[in-house]
Formats: sequence, C-alpha cells, structure tokens
Amino acid sequence: MQSSHNSLRRLLGAVAQAGRVLAGRQIAGRGLTVFPDDVFLVSYPRSGNTWTRFLLGNLIDQNDPVRFSNVESRIPEIYFNRDRFLRQLQRPRMLKSHECFQPHYPRVIYIVRDPRDVAVSFYHHNVKARNISDDYPIASFVPRFIAGEFDRKFGSWRDNVLSWTILRKDDPGFLMLRYEDMKRDPVVSLTSMVDFLERCSFRKFDSSAAALQRAIELSSPERMRTFEKQDAGRWILTKGTRKDKPFVRSATSGGWKSQLDRKSVAAIESAWGDLMLSLGYELASTAAAADTLSQRGLPS
Amino acid sequence: MNIVVRRIRGLINHLGKITDTALDRNPAGRNVTVLPGDVFIVSYPKSGNTWTRFLVGNLIYQDEPITFANVESRLPSLYVHPDRKLRKLPRVLKSHDCFDPRYRTVIYIVRDPRDVLVSAYHYAVKLGIVPENWGIEKFVPAMLDGSFESGVLVNPRWGSWHDNVASWLAMKDNRKFLLLRYEDMLDDPERELVKVADFLGLEATPERLARAVGLSSADHMRELEKTQAAEWSLTKNTRPDMAFVRKARAGTWRAELPPQTLADIESAWGPLMRILGYELSTAPPEPDELPVVLQ
Repeated sequence: MQSSHNSLRRLLGAVAQAGRVLAGRQIAGRGLTVFPDDVFLVSYPRSGNTWTRFLLGNLIDQNDPVRFSNVESRIPEIYFNRDRFLRQLQRPRMLKSHECFQPHYPRVIYIVRDPRDVAVSFYHHNVKARNISDDYPIASFVPRFIAGEFDRKFGSWRDNVLSWTILRKDDPGFLMLRYEDMKRDPVVSLTSMVDFLERCSFRKFDSSAAALQRAIELSSPERMRTFEKQDAGRWILTKGTRKDKPFVRSATSGGWKSQLDRKSVAAIESAWGDLMLSLGYELASTAAAADTLSQRGLPS
Repeated sequence: MNIVVRRIRGLINHLGKITDTALDRNPAGRNVTVLPGDVFIVSYPKSGNTWTRFLVGNLIYQDEPITFANVESRLPSLYVHPDRKLRKLPRVLKSHDCFDPRYRTVIYIVRDPRDVLVSAYHYAVKLGIVPENWGIEKFVPAMLDGSFESGVLVNPRWGSWHDNVASWLAMKDNRKFLLLRYEDMLDDPERELVKVADFLGLEATPERLARAVGLSSADHMRELEKTQAAEWSLTKNTRPDMAFVRKARAGTWRAELPPQTLADIESAWGPLMRILGYELSTAPPEPDELPVVLQ
C-alpha cells in the first residue's frame, strides 16, 4: 500500500516536472542560471532580507514604490521563481538567496542578524507556516534551530554566516551588513550598499540624501505591514500561511531578551558564541562567554 | 552551411536536455536528495577521488573487486546518476561540490594544487576541451581566474581549488569530517585507509587492508582502464591514447610547470597551500610545525 502510494506520488512528481520543463517553468533554486553581473542579497532566513529588498528596490527604481505584489519582479527571490523568468529580467539583476557559501555568486551583499533574534523570528515564522503548532514551546524549538533542522538546505545559522564570512570577507565582491546596524542607522548602511553597487558598476540611480531618506520611509515596518495586509494572499512567501500571524513582525532587535528563556539563550551562545562575538554580539550568559574565550578564540 | 549545422546541433542538444529533464535523467549534482547516514567522498577534481573510491570500495566489498565497470553502482558519483536512481544505490557518494551543509559525513581529499592543475591539464586534453594551441602555461591562468569553463572538469558550483578546499576546511566542525591528503595516501595507503576504516566503522584487518590497497594500486587500475575505459562515464568518448590513471605520483609539477605558471599558482593560493603543508617554491619554508588543520 505504502509503496504503491509512493510510486504514484513519484509518477505524479515526474509528470509535473516534465510539464514544468516543457513549459520552461522550472523553479530556479540551486539550478539558477548565474550571470557575471548579478548581485545577490544573501542572508540566513529571518535576518532582514525582505526589508533590504524593499530598501534597495525603492532606491534603484524610484518611480514605483516596492510592495509585496511587485517585489518578485524587482528583486526576486530564487526559490519560488522560475529560472526562465529570472533570465529575462533586466540586467544587471539583483536576487535574493538564503544559500550557504556559493562559489559562483559573483557579488554578494550579506546580511547578518543576532541569532537570538533570528531564533525568535524563525519560531514565529514556523508557526505561521504551520510547521509547528501555537502551543509548541520556543524552548523546544531552539535546540532544533541550533541543529539547523528547519530549512536544512540553508544549513544552521552558523553554517550560513561562517561559510560566507570565512570565504569572502576580504573579497571586493562581498559586503557584509548587520541587521542591527541597519535598524540603528539605515542611512549609513544604505550608503555602504550604494558605494558597493557603484564599485560593482551596477546601473546608475539617484543616491542623493533625499533619495535615501525616501527609500527608508517607503520601506518602514508600518508601510510594509499595510502592504502585507493587502498583498499577503498573493505574495509567494505568505500565500497559504496562517493569516492571523504577520510576516512583518516586530522588526526590532533585542526581542530575544523577553522571548527566550535563560536556557535557550545559553544554548545558542554556547553553540555559536565565538562567531557571535566576532560579529559584535555580546553574550549574555557568562558561562558561555567564559567557555568561548577559553576555546581557540575568534574565527579568523 | 556551418551555421545551419550548428543550429541543428543546438536544437538536438536542446531537445535532448528537455527529454532528460522531463524523464528525470539529469545527474543529481547539487540537487541530490541527502539521506540520513549518507557518506560523501568529496574533493576538487583530479585530487584522488577515484582512487579513494577504489580503496574504500575494496575495503567495504569483500565479494568482488571494484572496477571501472562497477564503481558507479557501488560508490556512485552525483554527476553520473539522476537523483531517482541514486536513491536505490549504496550511499557512499562521490562529490566535487563546495561546502554543502546537508552533508553530515564527509571524507575530504586534498591534493597539492600544482599537481592538481598538471593533472587537470592532461585530463582536459584527453577530453578534447583544451584549444589546440594551448599549452599548460595558457591553461593554468584560465583555471586560476575562473575563465576556463567545461562542465566536466570545471563547474561553477564546484568553485576553484581554493574555494572548494577552503569551504570544507572552514566548515568541518559540527559534522563528521575526515581530511586526507593525497600525498599521505601515496606515502602509506594502509595507514590512511585505517583512518577511513576507523571513521566509517569498517573492519580493517591487515589482510583486508592489503587486499584493498593491492586491488586499488595504480598498476591494477591502469590494467582495468585498458579494458573498461569505454564503459566508464569519465573515460567514455575521450582520447583513448591518453590514460585516465596517469602518473599517480606527487610532485610532477616540478618538471611540468613553467616558472611563471608556478609563481601564479603560489601567489593566488599560497596561504592555503601552506596551511595544508604544501611548501611554496617561491617563498622560504615556514618553521617546521605541523599545520593546525592536520593535527
């Protein structure tokens, strides 16, 4: 019974795949065609990638504000969009990805966020996506988050962040930004992105102080929440997820202090303390900090 | 005329690709479904992966020796079979991919990049993918700057030698990881195979080790290649007058690389080479200390 069920499922899968191929509708993902002038916005999930897409989208094309219904044709993500569609976009393209280190991504803006906040955000995201139930305790979620059990192909937070930073940190085609710095001073962060895009000979756009300010305002959490209410049923990342839970959540940093219990914080810090410290995230649990410092120190 | 032929060829090629994908016949590659318990034998190309597959396979399988005719069904490559077929095969898999967080158990083989490039050059000539007037002095810079693309020997997802090696070394923590140097394997294959046996929990009596090493010797593999080259995906349709199992030695770069080419490689990848214990010819040797990653 089980095996005939599996064969049927495989057959249906094969037919659907054949249909996608014949119609040129294969999802890009890891089979994405990469062009040498591409710029990738990469991050671990729930680290501010969508906000960055809004910020840059509102800056690069100032005629039409970004919203959820048009972001996928402006700065598309690669996991739900089709390679053929992505190949037809105006070049140079800017694409969103959550992959660990990819040797063939020519230019990368990498966004990193405090993993304790990522844990909280990812927890709520998985409740929204119905992967876990409302009453599933966050304290049970955290160890599974540390093990990278959700979205395994993106690795753990550490796999993702460390693979990019070690391999590309001194590369002129790599820019790393912290979500927390972007929140604190979006103008400074946006300016460094503008400089980076200029060095990459990305297409020209107005990057005056007024334009930056406008892009930041057009990408505020309030506006994004309003757009989400209007577009959630159509946007690929929110379609089919629970409507009572927002995608644009608190959009703050430090929420972990009230949402994570002490044990969860200690678990994250003892797993990733060295990397967190090297990124400037102070450790709260003294035991983890001492452990980390007595180990071989910061990653180089 | 030429254009018509090329168009028709292009069309046939395209239709072939569509059929392959529609029938799910494309090699798995990066899209492989990773199952719990999978073991990956990973390396940059031309670094001893096939030899390692023979060694490990001849240790695992006591019934019949590993040959070019059965290696793809016993220790299959991600780049030969589609995912659907791989799911039914033994799961000690060959890969050339850069770091993939889904791989939980990894045997990584590293080889002196100077020898890797010499070997890659000869294999590229065997494959017929090197322009005719290209000597090794033209081939190496194109490999260093990533401008040489072939699909068989070079794949954007495998990265350069440096990206491939560095990505795995950087991420070796938090997974089962065994680093082998090709040069150490040449020096004492039994000793290195014991490491693999311990790593995978395989029985390694002196008899078994000797059998595996004997059945995987360069001479034995050369004999097998003579009769099986046409059957194996990596040698099929390549120049039969050139061998896949070539010298199987370390240090041939000394005789084959022109000084400028050597300097280019060492200036591009020197720091990582030193970490791995590959002494640079263009710089004074480091203090006599075992590199951290090899301890």
